[in-house]
Amino acid sequence: MTNTNLISRPGRIISPISLLIWIILTSALVFTLMPIVFMFSASMMPSKDILKMPFPWIPKEFHWQNFTKAIAGNDGSFIFIRNFSNSVIVSAVVTVTTVILSSMTGYGLAKFRFKGRNIVFLAIMATMMIPFEAIMIPLYLVATKLHLQNSYGGLIIPFLVNAFGVFMMRQYLLPFPDEFLDATRIDGAGELSIFWHIVLPNCAPAIATLSILTFRSQWDNLLWPLLVAQSEKMKTLPLYIVKFAAEKYTDEGAMMAVAVLGSIPMLILFFTMSRYFVSGASVFSSRKG
Amino acid sequence: MKKTLMIFLSLAVLALPLLAGGAQEEEGPITIKFWTHEDPNRTTIEERYIAEFEASHPGITIERVTNSSAKMPELLLTAFAANEGPHIFNTQIEDGYAYIANGRVAPIDPVIAGFKSNDELRDSYVKGVLDAVSEDGNIYGLPLELTNWAPYINKRIFRDAGLDPEKDYPRTWEDIVAVSEKIVKREGQIITRRGFDFRYPYYLVSVVPMVEQLGGKLISDDGKTAIVGDDAWLKLLQFMADWGPSGLNLGSPTYKNARKLFNADNNDMAMAMSGLYQEGRIRADNPEFYESGDWMVIPFPQFENAVKEVASAYYGHFYMVNSQKPEREQKAAWEFITYMLSHSEEYLTEVGLIQPTKKLMSSSTFASIPYADVFASDMEKGNIVYYAENSAKIQELIKEAIEGVMLSGISPEKALASLKVKAQEVLDQE
Amino acid sequence: MKKTYSGIEKKLSRWGWFFVAPSLFFFSLFSFYPILNAGFTSLFRKKILSLKPPTFIGLKNYIYLLQSDDFWNSIRATFVFTIGTFIPLLVFSLLLAVLILNIKKGKKFLQLAYYAPAVLSSVVAAVIWMSIFDPRGLGNQILNFLFNTPGIDHKWLADSTMVQLSTILVYFWKYIGYFVVIFIAGLAAIPGSLYEAATIDGAGKWQSFWRITFPLLKPTIILVSVMSMLQCLKTFSTQYLFVQSGSPQAPINVITLNIYNTGIRDHLIGRSSAMSIILFLIMLFFTWLQFKTSKADDVSY
Repeated sequence: MTNTNLISRPGRIISPISLLIWIILTSALVFTLMPIVFMFSASMMPSKDILKMPFPWIPKEFHWQNFTKAIAGNDGSFIFIRNFSNSVIVSAVVTVTTVILSSMTGYGLAKFRFKGRNIVFLAIMATMMIPFEAIMIPLYLVATKLHLQNSYGGLIIPFLVNAFGVFMMRQYLLPFPDEFLDATRIDGAGELSIFWHIVLPNCAPAIATLSILTFRSQWDNLLWPLLVAQSEKMKTLPLYIVKFAAEKYTDEGAMMAVAVLGSIPMLILFFTMSRYFVSGASVFSSRKG
Repeated sequence: MKKTLMIFLSLAVLALPLLAGGAQEEEGPITIKFWTHEDPNRTTIEERYIAEFEASHPGITIERVTNSSAKMPELLLTAFAANEGPHIFNTQIEDGYAYIANGRVAPIDPVIAGFKSNDELRDSYVKGVLDAVSEDGNIYGLPLELTNWAPYINKRIFRDAGLDPEKDYPRTWEDIVAVSEKIVKREGQIITRRGFDFRYPYYLVSVVPMVEQLGGKLISDDGKTAIVGDDAWLKLLQFMADWGPSGLNLGSPTYKNARKLFNADNNDMAMAMSGLYQEGRIRADNPEFYESGDWMVIPFPQFENAVKEVASAYYGHFYMVNSQKPEREQKAAWEFITYMLSHSEEYLTEVGLIQPTKKLMSSSTFASIPYADVFASDMEKGNIVYYAENSAKIQELIKEAIEGVMLSGISPEKALASLKVKAQEVLDQE
Repeated sequence: MKKTYSGIEKKLSRWGWFFVAPSLFFFSLFSFYPILNAGFTSLFRKKILSLKPPTFIGLKNYIYLLQSDDFWNSIRATFVFTIGTFIPLLVFSLLLAVLILNIKKGKKFLQLAYYAPAVLSSVVAAVIWMSIFDPRGLGNQILNFLFNTPGIDHKWLADSTMVQLSTILVYFWKYIGYFVVIFIAGLAAIPGSLYEAATIDGAGKWQSFWRITFPLLKPTIILVSVMSMLQCLKTFSTQYLFVQSGSPQAPINVITLNIYNTGIRDHLIGRSSAMSIILFLIMLFFTWLQFKTSKADDVSY
């Protein structure tokens, strides 16, 4: 990459400025990580230790009962495992479809001229500007008419594509050279094959970022699954956490254990794919809004 | 090509009614959807009732679904708004009233419950219990539970503070303050051991009765005026302001829920307001504490200069049946409800829920439950909680007033003035 | 645009539709229809449970809202939260991004660590922060340790100013890393040759930051601020949770919370739909405004 030392070039001797830099960076680090460390540490303690003042950061011993309670659930049915799997399935499927549909739509909007293109784009953008609480009831109406309640379909279909994905892919593809596409057309390549063999591979960084963001937002989705997943077997992890929090109310430790279990998959995914998080971010900056 | 967009839109809109469900089947197996709030102790017994009921009623399947009690009202509303409510649901009477008022629930046929008439069914319950769900002579719900609250006391903490729980337990709100001052421990301003604390967001159940003790009222008898009796309301607001962090600093809404801490017996909560069901939860959460006998339940305190003896209001969860379902499904639903409710004693012993039939209240099972008598005699001194379509909004306004004087330093006079105006506006909108 | 299409153009425009159509179908069903439905409902007096046909009342819901103190308070709360969140987010994330690029070791690690909160789900974040904000929780312990003020209760959830700060703090914590990463990518994309030229011209470091970095970063800043502003205007779960945990409602009664309470708790679905539409228009306006200002002085590399 390029040289971006804007303020100081760190020398051998620690200058007051670089000391200041380190103080700022470290306090930001403490601020962002402290709540996460708190969660991990509390998940290993018996509940009564968690409320102690001052908070005993290092657990005396690993209170593993928190985790068995968290997994066995309020009624010992181990529905946690099923709910957890549902979250994985739903998030994974939605991620794949969002990537495909968003790139198709983004490509269509960025690289083709047709009447109504701007209206379509604006209409899609407008959907980002309405809070979910506002459309919850009409959306539920649609889902029930389509008999989607209590099925994977109900959890997945309303999220097959989202406006943010379309927006992102369109922005990413706008600067893609038209001449290049035209040249391949003249060579006789079909539109689908151009999309599949040329456009998609060129979008890899944007796709990686979009996948991660989509997976994360589905993993986090609470309000819609709450409405549409009515049987215990169709519930997702956030619903499990909310229900657990509401009923096992005396057991703060077990609560934190559930929180840890719910976070681990995302943390693993995040750390293994971190290079896409970081590189994919260039999608937002190297292209103009 | 703009047309294409319009076609998509109109297709989407038009497709909806077409997809609506076809004709209702008159024969064949039925599935009854039953939504209720999560309560692990209750789930165990109700799952068993379902198995038994399905065995004796071939062709009927019951699908029981639970969700957290905080999320249940929203879930039900959304489903009913889409005309897709479950067959059976239970809800607090404050929420349930709207379903009756809007014709969303179906009345029970007393014969299904084994009675000749509605009057006979009504008469099998303690007087007045079914009033809230009665309209035009019909009965629209049967109680899963009727609950009132009273303070639970941790005797060990009392002794630790040099008090004799049997003798020194608080009778009046003034006592509650005095006893709490002895018990409370602080680090600076931060309370590390509380004496008592209110069940904050539930003002209709536990705080409005305090106003009534002082001669005030939430709504006038003719139903036209909100917030009656300025002196009583002012005294209450002053009491709450004194209780809070800017007064004597004995408690506050943002501390961890008192009844959640109580069971842990962790030397941090001496008294908490809760229902009889709390006994079952203590037993489940902390069997050692339950067996130790170091807890007890005392009557709802009164103000020293109370003009009227009023205990906590009681609220009910009523089982109701969706009126939009075909008649035979409604019938099956009521059959199943009455089957469940025929196990009142088990609901009491296993879950701590009171289904106040005359039979249960006079049974030896009821008498043998620790402190059941305290709750029963309090219930006679209480009223049913204020229920109406606007009750949640009214409660929110009371919350605003009380938390205003406790936390934001608003004067009781100002808080009351604003409460009166806003509550009246809500009432007038009906 | 309305000139004659040549054969190829016609064909291409069909392909355009082909790529757009599948998504459009899903958008129609799950976004456009519900939004139109909300707009339609906003013209009626409608109670959520009522089986009677709703009464058409034209713009009365809107008129009521514009005269309601409660609604104006919600607008205030929403703007306090939005401005209070997204300005610090922009400033601090830019600062941290610049600082990170100036250190030799640990660049990757810091980016990941700052980003980590964004990975946690909101439900989990809520559980954690509620424990921290308890009067006996870490929030008070840490502040009192830092300022050496033992025993002070900072009333994170209780005081009407603090509670607004607390909601902002949770949001800030969650999204700071996200923006740091975006800014680092943006900064890295600025050609180094520009700085060399500036150094030759004798520009100081601060000067080169303001004269080169900042203008070139503008597109990123605009994009980030549009996105974060839309997110902030839609904030709901933090405020909802705080109120459930005993916070006073008025200071943090943001529009979405008001929509929810009016529609679900008070059953007034017509009025709550009108609020949604107003919020929609507000968001539309600010998005338009930001894109407009960004176009006015577009920068080219």
